Amino acid sequence: MSEFIRSTPPKRSPQRRGRTYRVYNQEVFVPDGFLAVGHIVGVHGLRGEVKLESYTDFPERFAPGERLRLGDDLAEVKIASVRPHKKFLLIRFEGVTDRMAAEQLRGLWLFVAEEDAAELEEGAYWIHDLIGLEVREESGARLGELVDVLVTGANDVYVVHGEPGAEREILLPAIPEVVLNVDLAAGVMTVRLLEGLLDAEAVD
Amino acid sequence: MSRSLKKGPFVSPKLLKRIEEMNRKGERKVIKTWSRASTIFPQFVGHTIAVHDGRRHVPVYISENMVGHKLGEFAPTRFFRGHVKSEKSSKTGRR
Repeated sequence: MSEFIRSTPPKRSPQRRGRTYRVYNQEVFVPDGFLAVGHIVGVHGLRGEVKLESYTDFPERFAPGERLRLGDDLAEVKIASVRPHKKFLLIRFEGVTDRMAAEQLRGLWLFVAEEDAAELEEGAYWIHDLIGLEVREESGARLGELVDVLVTGANDVYVVHGEPGAEREILLPAIPEVVLNVDLAAGVMTVRLLEGLLDAEAVD
Repeated sequence: MSRSLKKGPFVSPKLLKRIEEMNRKGERKVIKTWSRASTIFPQFVGHTIAVHDGRRHVPVYISENMVGHKLGEFAPTRFFRGHVKSEKSSKTGRR
């Protein structure tokens, strides 16, 4: 455990390649070949439990015995126990048995290697793969670039920004009638616009 | 206190009228509404309604298991900001 107990903030190894993302007002470095699955936002109690915000659709990722990578130096950790608490998970790692040790983990991210990522069902795509796709109509006309995915509780909604100077953003519901094809290799999403999607009739 | 049963569930009369009109004509058009408090009626199923979230209209496809809920439940007013490269996916429903 001592390898990731530090008194100073973690230093990023200069040779590791990756990309920095912005989540709310925080910068997150994700090394190449890895996916973020959780963020340690705090500690809980005296027995070394950490409070984890999940960034995965697959809760079994945090089952006891699972191995994950922790922090920028990707130290391997094994989950000893897990339990839900409000919108967080309370997790204890093997070797972290008191609050002092858990405090050292605050703010770190948990990763999993891309090759170990869960299998997606047909018609589902990783959000980070969708962002940046070029969105085209069936006719081939370019609508813009997919810049964000809104999770609504019903269908997801894709936010498409048109050419610079184009009038506004377009919100596309992620339903089979609209999303006809996703070609990740070519970086293109083909969509059919529902009648009234761009100029919907207003009813109070 | 819950709403009086005598009145039935609330729905904007204009919205219900427009949906029933579309059902009669067999139309499927996106309509936008500000009425987040309207209850989803069985007549709405299969329609896409753009529900106001305070800033823009979020297109919501109404499915059977949404009946009885309010439209506003499906157009959150606060969205998660920024997507990190993570194990989160989006379903397009296309197979």
